[in-house]
Amino acid sequence: MTQNAEHILDHSELFRGDEYQQMLANKKALFENPHDPAEVDRIKEWSKTPEYREKNFAREALTVNPAKACQPLGAVFAALGFESTLPFVHGSQGCVAYYRSHLSRHFKEPTSCVSSSMTEDAAVFGGLNNLTDGLANSYNMYKPKMIAVATTCMAEVIGDDLNAFIKTSKEKGSVPADYDVPFAHTPAFVGSHVTGYDNTLKGILEHFWDGKAGTAPKLQRRANNTINFIGGFDGYTVGNIREIKRIFKLMRIGYTILADNSDVFDTPTDGEFRMYDGGTTLKDAANAVHAKATISMQQYCTEKTLAFIKGHDQEVVAFNHPLGVSATDEFLMTLSRITNRAIPNALERERGRLVDAMADSSAHVHGKKFAIYGDPDLCYGLAAFLLELGAEPTHVLSTNGSKAWEQKMQALFASSPFGKNCRAFPGKDLWHMRSLLFTEPVDFLIGNTYGKYLERDTGTPLIRIGFPIFDRHHHHRYPVWGYQGGMNVLVKILDKIFDEIDRKTSSVGKTDYSFDIIR
Amino acid sequence: MTSLPTTIQDVFNEPGCARNASKSNVERKNGCTKQLKPGGAAGGCAFDGAKIALQPFTDVAHLVHGPIACEGNSWDNRGSASSGSDLWRRSFTTDMSETDVVFGGEKRLYRAVKEITEKYNPQAIFVYQTCVPAMIGDDIDMVCKAASAKFGKPVIPINAPGFVGSKNLGNKLAGEALLEHVIGTGEPDYTTPYDINIIGEYNLSGELWQVKPLLDELGIRILSCISGDGKYREVACSHRAKAAMMVCSKAMINVASKMKQRYGIPFFEGSFYGIEDSSDSLRQIARMLIERGAPAELMERTQALIAREETKAWTAIERFKPRFAGKRVVLITGGVKSWSMVAALQEAGLEIVGTSVKKSTEKDKERIKELIGQHAHMIEDMSPHEIYKMLKGAKADIMLSGGKSQFVALKAATPWLDINQERCHAYMGYVGIVKLMEEIEKALYNPIWHQLRQAAPWDEFDWKRQAKAVAQMHAQAVDPVRGANTNGVKTISFSNKSEVGDGESAIAAHGPNLVEPAKSCTNSTARCLACKDIHSDLQPPALQAAE
Repeated sequence: MTQNAEHILDHSELFRGDEYQQMLANKKALFENPHDPAEVDRIKEWSKTPEYREKNFAREALTVNPAKACQPLGAVFAALGFESTLPFVHGSQGCVAYYRSHLSRHFKEPTSCVSSSMTEDAAVFGGLNNLTDGLANSYNMYKPKMIAVATTCMAEVIGDDLNAFIKTSKEKGSVPADYDVPFAHTPAFVGSHVTGYDNTLKGILEHFWDGKAGTAPKLQRRANNTINFIGGFDGYTVGNIREIKRIFKLMRIGYTILADNSDVFDTPTDGEFRMYDGGTTLKDAANAVHAKATISMQQYCTEKTLAFIKGHDQEVVAFNHPLGVSATDEFLMTLSRITNRAIPNALERERGRLVDAMADSSAHVHGKKFAIYGDPDLCYGLAAFLLELGAEPTHVLSTNGSKAWEQKMQALFASSPFGKNCRAFPGKDLWHMRSLLFTEPVDFLIGNTYGKYLERDTGTPLIRIGFPIFDRHHHHRYPVWGYQGGMNVLVKILDKIFDEIDRKTSSVGKTDYSFDIIR
Repeated sequence: MTSLPTTIQDVFNEPGCARNASKSNVERKNGCTKQLKPGGAAGGCAFDGAKIALQPFTDVAHLVHGPIACEGNSWDNRGSASSGSDLWRRSFTTDMSETDVVFGGEKRLYRAVKEITEKYNPQAIFVYQTCVPAMIGDDIDMVCKAASAKFGKPVIPINAPGFVGSKNLGNKLAGEALLEHVIGTGEPDYTTPYDINIIGEYNLSGELWQVKPLLDELGIRILSCISGDGKYREVACSHRAKAAMMVCSKAMINVASKMKQRYGIPFFEGSFYGIEDSSDSLRQIARMLIERGAPAELMERTQALIAREETKAWTAIERFKPRFAGKRVVLITGGVKSWSMVAALQEAGLEIVGTSVKKSTEKDKERIKELIGQHAHMIEDMSPHEIYKMLKGAKADIMLSGGKSQFVALKAATPWLDINQERCHAYMGYVGIVKLMEEIEKALYNPIWHQLRQAAPWDEFDWKRQAKAVAQMHAQAVDPVRGANTNGVKTISFSNKSEVGDGESAIAAHGPNLVEPAKSCTNSTARCLACKDIHSDLQPPALQAAE
C-alpha cells in the first residue's frame, strides 16, 4: 500500500511497506553494484579489531566524526550573552546559518545573528563594503544596543582587518561614531568553538575597558568587592547560570555574570517576540573592570580572556567545569575566600543531600567503566565526578583538547585508585572513540547527541551530557553546576544504568526473572 | 477446618522451635512473638509475613482480599526469581470499597476468584485475608471452599490478617495453610531415592539456581522448594520426599516438623551461605538420603564434589584477604541465618563485631558464640537507635543488613550492603560467597564513604566561623529559642548532626534538654563539625591530640 489520504503514514513507517522495500531492493540489485554482503560483514568485523585500531590511530590527515565546532559558533554564543547585542559575523552567510540552526536545535529558541553575506567579488576585493552596508542595515533594521563582530574563515583568508574596517565603516556613517562595535577575529581553522568564545569575550571586554578602539579614554580600575563570573561555552547555560545566581544570592555576593545568555536562550511564550532578552548590560560589562576577581568555570574557554583580565590587576581563578561534591566544594570555598562571605547553612545542607544521594546509589555506579567525550573542561569535570563515585572514566577523549589538557587529565587519573586504567585522548575524533569502544569496551558512553551512532554501532549505552543535544529536549534547563546540578548529573547517570538493567532483563520468559520493581 | 485462634495456638506449641520449648506454659500461651510496642517503629504484620512466604510460588494467582492498602503496598516486592510462569507477579486484589465494608465482601471475593479462573486459569488461587474483611466477618474459608467446588480448582485461604501478630507469625500461618490445604493433595509422577524438599528458601535473585546444578550433578532431585521458584503441583506432592532441608527455620519450622510427624520426612537445618555451610548441607543431604535408602556411594560422590568446589571457592576468596585485613563487620539479618553468614565472612578474613539475633533460635545463638566468641555483640532489638549506637560504638567498617536499616547505616556514615530480600545479587553456594566478597569489597572501597565521614571542607579551617559558632553557643545557652533564630552563618547542631532523620535516637542520646550544648557536644563524634569545634575549644590540647 502506498500512501493513503485516509491514513497518512509517517516516513518512519511508510517506507517499510512492501512496494518501497521492493523498490529499494531492486535499486540496490540493479544499479548500486553492491559488494558481496559477506565481504561487507568481514570488513565490518575487521574494523572492530585491535589491528584496525592501530591503523585508525595512525591516521594523519583525515578527521572522522569530530567532536568539536568552529570558532564563530562560540563567538555567537558569547555575544548573545550581552544586553540587546546582535552577533554579526563577517564572512559568508552559509556559515552563519549553521550557527543559528546549531544553537536553535539545542536550545529550542530562535537565535538572532546576522552575516555580512560576502560573495565572490567581496572575496576578491575585500569585504569592507559588505561590512559597512551590513552594519548599517542591521543597526537600522534590528535596533541593537551593540553589534559584536566576529569573522568566518573567508574574511580571515583574505585578511580583512576588522579594527580598520569598523573605523572606516563608522566614518562612512554606517553606525554612529560612539556606537559599540567590539570585534574578534575568529577563524575556524584555528582552535574550536571554545576558542571563539574566548576571543569574543576578550574582544568585548577589551572594547569597554581599553578605550573602545581608541575612541574613548581607558577605564581606570577602582577595585570594589564584587566578582565577575564567566560560564564559558556551556550547553547547560540556562540552568547553570540561574543556579549560579541563586548561589551568589545565598552567599550575598555582589556579582557580574559576563556573557549571561540564560534568558535569551529561554524566552517565555507570551505573545511577544524577544529578539534580545536579558544579558549582561553594557554598563556592567564596563564596570566589571573594577571587580575584585574573575572566576571562570571553564579554563580552556577563557585562557586569553583571563590573561587579559589578570593584566587589569584582578585575581583570576579558573575551574574545569566543576561537577560533584569536591569540585563544588572548591568552587564555593574559592568564592568564600575571595569575597570573605561564609558559605551558608542552606548550601551545606544541599551538599549533605548530594552526598546522601551518592551514598544511597553508590553500589550501582561503583566499578562501572565510562567513556567520555566533549569539550576539554566538561570532560575533566565529568571524569572527576565519576572518580568521586567510584566509577572509572576509562577513555576520555576531546577533539579540541590540547597536550596540556591531556597532562591535566592524567594527573587527575593518577590522584585516584579508580583512575588507574584511564587514559585521556587529546585531538582524537569519534572514529577513534569507536575503535576504543570495540577494543576496550566500557559500560557507558557519555557525550552529545552524535554519540547515538556510537551507541548503535558499538552497543555502548549513551548518557547524553554535552553540546549539542539535538534529539532530547530541554536538558539545558537543568543545571549541572552546584550541588543541585551534581544531583541532576547523578540522576541522569543512574537513570541510564537502571534502564540498562531493565533492558537486559526484560525478555519475557527468558531473563525477566530479574525484571524487578525494586532496584 | 480449624479456627484461626486454634491455628495460632498450635503454631505456638511448635516443638521444633528450641526457643519455644524452653518457655513456661504461661509464656507459651502468650505467644512466641514479642508483643508490638505501640508508638515504636515496627516491622511488618502477619499478612505481610504470609504473603512474602508464599509469593514465590510462581504459577499461583495471589489474590489479596481487602482494601487497596495491603496489595497496593506489597505488589511485586519480592526479589524471587521464577523459571517459568510470571503469574505470581500479577497483582490481584478485591480492592474493597466502602459498600463492601458495609454489606460484606464475600460476594466480591467470590466473583474475583471466578474472574481469575476465567481469565488466567491458574494452577491454584491463594486468597489472603486482611484486617478489614476479617473484622467485618468475611469468611474466606467458606468462600474458598465454595469456589473450589464450583470451579474445580484449588482455592486456598491464607488466613493471616495483619492484626493477629507479627510478620514472623504470618510466615508460620502461611506454612499452616500449606500443611492444611496443599501438601499431600497430589502425587508425583515418579519418585526416586534422591528426592528432597527445601523448605524456607525463596530463590532470591535466583540464588537457589547457583546450588541446583550441584544437586543435579549428584543426581539429587528437588522434589519441591517451599517456596522459591515453587510450583503448586510440586508442593502438593512434597510429602513423597525422602528428606528435607530447612533453610529459614524461623519462618517455616512448623512445616518441616509437621511433615516429619505426618509423613516421616526427616529434616535438618542447614544453609548454603558460606563455603563450610554449603559443604555441610550437601553432606547432610547425602547422609539423610542414604539413611532413607539411597546407595551409600552417594556420599563418596558428594565428598568429591565438595572437595572440588571448596578448592575453587577458597582460591577465589584468597585475593580478598589483603583487602579485608582488619575490616570489621556488623551483621543485621532478618531472614538469613546470622551464624551461617558469620562463618562465611570469617572465611574471608573479616572480623565480626556484632550481629543481630532477633530471628535466631537459641541454637543459632550458641553457634554464633562458638564462632565469634563470648564477647560478641548480639543484638536482640533492631530499633534504628540500637543499630545506630552499635555502628558508632563498635566503629564498624561495614554493615550488612536488609534495606530497612540501610539509611541508619548511611546516616552513621558506615558502608552498607543489602543482604536481605531486596538485594540485587545472589549469594548462595560456592559461587555466591565469592560474589558476596566482591560486593563487600566494592562497598568498603567506595570513595563515597570518605566523603561521607568528612564534613564540608570549609568547616575544617574556618576559624572565624568557629569563633562565631562558639559565641552563638553561649547565646543559645542563655536563650535557646532566640539563639536558634539569630540565623547566623550556621546554626549549631546540638543534636548530633548525623542523627538527622532519626529523632528518636537524637532525643535518646542527648535528652530533650537542648540547653546543655556542652554536654551533648562532648559526647558527639567527629562528624558533627559544629560540635567538634566547640569540643576542641573546651578541651585541653593534650586531649585534642589524643583524639
